[in-house]
Amino acid sequence: MLELILQALYSGLLAGGYYAMIALGLALVFGTMRIINLAHGELVLLAAYVAFEMERSFGWTPLASIPVALVVVGLTALVIYLLIGRIRQDRELNSLILTFGIAIVLTNLILMIWSADIRSTSNSWFMDGVVLGDTLFSMRGEVIFCVIGVLLLAATYWWLNHTWQGRALRAVASNRDAAKLMGVNPARIEALSFLVSGVLATFAGVAVYTASVVFPAVGHNLTIKAFVITVLAGMGSVPGVLLGAVLIGVGETLTTTLAKPSLQELTGMVIFLLILFLRPSGLFGRKGMVKK
Amino acid sequence: MKHRMVVLVALVLAYGAVPLLLGSMDYVMSLIIAALTIGGVALAWALLGNLGGLVSFGHAAFFGVGAYTSAILVVDHHWPVLLAMVAGGVGAAVASVATMPALRLRGPYFALAILAYGHIFRILAVEATSLTGGAAGMLSIPGFPTLLGINLASKTGAYALILTIVLLFAWLYGLIRRSTYGLALRAMHDSELATRVVGVPSTHLKAAMLVISAFMTGVVGAFNAHQINFLDPEYAFASSWTVLPIAAAIFGGYRTVWGPVLGALVVFLVDQLVFKELMPSGHQLVFGVLLGGMVILGPHGLLPLLGRWSKKEASHAGA
Amino acid sequence: MMKRFTSAVLSKRRALLACCAVGTVMMASPAMAAEFVLGSELPLTGKLARVGTGMSEGIAIAIDLANAKYAGQHHFSVQTIDDETNPAKAVAAVEKLASDHVVAITGGYGSNIIGPASEAAAKAGLVYMTSGGVAPELTQRGLDSFFRINNADGYGKAMVGLIETMGAKSVAILYSNKEATAAMATYVQKALTDKGIKITSHEFDDTTTDFKPIMNKVKLQDRPEVVAMIGYENDYIGILRAGAVLKPDVKAMVGVWSLATAQMNKEFHDQVQGVYGTSPLPYPVVFKGGEAQDFAAAYMNKYNREPDYLQQFGYVQTMLLIDAIARAHDNDGKIEAGEIARELRATTTPTMIGDVTFDKNGDNPNFTHRMGQHQGDRVELVWPANAATAKMNYPAVPW
Repeated sequence: MLELILQALYSGLLAGGYYAMIALGLALVFGTMRIINLAHGELVLLAAYVAFEMERSFGWTPLASIPVALVVVGLTALVIYLLIGRIRQDRELNSLILTFGIAIVLTNLILMIWSADIRSTSNSWFMDGVVLGDTLFSMRGEVIFCVIGVLLLAATYWWLNHTWQGRALRAVASNRDAAKLMGVNPARIEALSFLVSGVLATFAGVAVYTASVVFPAVGHNLTIKAFVITVLAGMGSVPGVLLGAVLIGVGETLTTTLAKPSLQELTGMVIFLLILFLRPSGLFGRKGMVKK
Repeated sequence: MKHRMVVLVALVLAYGAVPLLLGSMDYVMSLIIAALTIGGVALAWALLGNLGGLVSFGHAAFFGVGAYTSAILVVDHHWPVLLAMVAGGVGAAVASVATMPALRLRGPYFALAILAYGHIFRILAVEATSLTGGAAGMLSIPGFPTLLGINLASKTGAYALILTIVLLFAWLYGLIRRSTYGLALRAMHDSELATRVVGVPSTHLKAAMLVISAFMTGVVGAFNAHQINFLDPEYAFASSWTVLPIAAAIFGGYRTVWGPVLGALVVFLVDQLVFKELMPSGHQLVFGVLLGGMVILGPHGLLPLLGRWSKKEASHAGA
Repeated sequence: MMKRFTSAVLSKRRALLACCAVGTVMMASPAMAAEFVLGSELPLTGKLARVGTGMSEGIAIAIDLANAKYAGQHHFSVQTIDDETNPAKAVAAVEKLASDHVVAITGGYGSNIIGPASEAAAKAGLVYMTSGGVAPELTQRGLDSFFRINNADGYGKAMVGLIETMGAKSVAILYSNKEATAAMATYVQKALTDKGIKITSHEFDDTTTDFKPIMNKVKLQDRPEVVAMIGYENDYIGILRAGAVLKPDVKAMVGVWSLATAQMNKEFHDQVQGVYGTSPLPYPVVFKGGEAQDFAAAYMNKYNREPDYLQQFGYVQTMLLIDAIARAHDNDGKIEAGEIARELRATTTPTMIGDVTFDKNGDNPNFTHRMGQHQGDRVELVWPANAATAKMNYPAVPW
């Protein structure tokens, strides 16, 4: 039993790093623009499918497809940003509906281009086992992308706190008008945050492709996971994203091990609702964002 | 006076002309019934939005709960179908009480919380195998009875039933709207999607609207269960029961009583008859474009646009 | 807006009436060259698009070969409507086909979709023939017009038979909580227990992508000789991947449908080595016997690939239906559902999947699938012995 729990914790941790990567893009845009981009999961999925296409048509390894995916996803993210910019009133709620609609469009485009078949990588290098001390098992891909995820989080954290653009982003997030007075162009900063979100989504997408399987409906599931973690984290907190992601990851694996695997999703949803009702500002966020 | 005439003519057309002309084309009637089902949910969704000031992203939750409640009562406890449908609505209303902690949340968070509830209900339906048949669902759910000499299980009968349900709900919606509370809201009319009024509606009234909206959606869900004679968790709680009504309501004009229903008829029928032929795979895309387009271009929907256009015509004619 | 819609529908209706008139006249003349339009409702988009498309191809080949077989006497064609893997749309599709006066319906995939669709067909007075719905409930509804050439028990019998032949004493069963898979799991659990084999069961949700936790439980707690997997393609790949990482000490991995296929061998070659699944024919396909070879040749000709189990089933089910329709027509010119149903039940027909008989519930009790195993670049049939093309590779796992 102990071995099972240890394995569950380990798998959950790895999953956490990888979920954090998926959620960070959403959290960033949420933090800057107070917009939940419901099409974020589809951006991640798009990157995964680009990696698939590169592997299928040219035999490229997933890592090599990252540059191509960056371009595709980055452009799509920009388009989404521009469309959101066209909203004239009540941006918070209208952007929710708009991105909801964009998500449907993207999912169906993916469906039309690549069909509903289940896709995954045949590149077995990522799937080889990595064993720690004879008891903790994982796939090479999982470990690699967990590490990449943590690195990306650290990089984003550093960028937000120690570079000019990053600090400008935080300024815009906390007080848009004051930031303007300080010479920051909010529109450009917001576009930047969308782009960064796209970059993060790209890495996340390639990770999903190598570690798991993809089909068009996956985008929706990823979006839900991402916003659950974002709400858990609280607005504006990068470490919160990591913690929230690990919490969800471990919660899922423990549920699978101790109870039934089919209750996995339930755990995430229940955690989400608990946080919304008990501590709506999230684990690290500031109050007043979510409750009235 | 003119308004009454239009209503009367519309009723005659709806109850009389449609069955007479189209009654034998089962396929078209099925589409119309499906469109009205969507319309019913769209109406309930718009009611919650307009009178309760709450945008929900998970009405599929109430739809599914209503469907399962009614089906279980009929199959396991032999309730009469029509009574069970009402009970289905009550079941959904009770389920909405479980969502009430979410009322304290701001707009987008309420919407997403309801979405989470939808997922939870679906998983519960899958797990409660002894009650709901689990992932396999329920097969051969009894259909509608014969009432007043009309076989409601026939296509025209089912059409008459859903039409009556939708009309009833629209009337109820109008009634609430015209009440003191509704008048106060409309007096503070503004052009935002989520009614942001000075003097936010009290939580009790919002809860009441949530219960009513859930009840309506539940009844429509129950109708669908007995019409298709089948249920499974994935179908009953499918996200299309959320997405299509929202698209329909926004397209038709979510601020009016009739907008959502007419929007549903137009959007659904055009999608099935036109877009499905053009893009067999992925024609649901249209809904996404619709949602996005309407949000950017005309957040008030089609009906008000039409109204304004016809008023413009009239004024030109007079000139 | 309403007016334009109504008038469009009206003119469409007039056109339909004209077609119906002609069709009725044509069909009313008995024993002369008759034109039969079959209806087909299938998932061509949505989650089951791949299997639906496969089945529709098999149906198309059946139509082509039937027209060759009955040349000069009868002519067949098929009208296909996509049900989008959605029960309500399937019902609407069946109703549309019925209103277009098709003779019978062949198609359907997914027990939860076939259920309502076949009930709609019964209401419309049409025979519904399928190979895509194996759940037990489907043949327990008392529908005289519902027929299927395969069932969950047949798959179960094959899986249990193989495990018995292996001589395994303990089995871990991993199954998806969807309808058909859960039903099969129940069958397998009981059958194995009755044979004195120790079993442990693990149910998983169909959205599961990481099977390591379950496989770890199997490896550390259950320690079986054989792992039985009852799910769909993505489930198998997930389970096999988890197995490749955890390397449990088992002697065989056995699955059911969609596993021992050419596609799996090509796309996931290394992961499926030594894995077993149900399969009607080996790969590369070796067809024995006239009809099978004609089928293979016709398919290769039309689609430039080798046929798989989906096409084979689609072909067999449609051919049986067509033959019954032809017999009903030739006997007394009547082709209502009752007549066709009677003809279907009247004979035992040898087909590519074995002898097919229909009992009073529309089931084919003869149906027992065969088990194939991925051996290198081939899928060899290893069970039952009388259909085997190679010896079983046991013990063998892909890691």
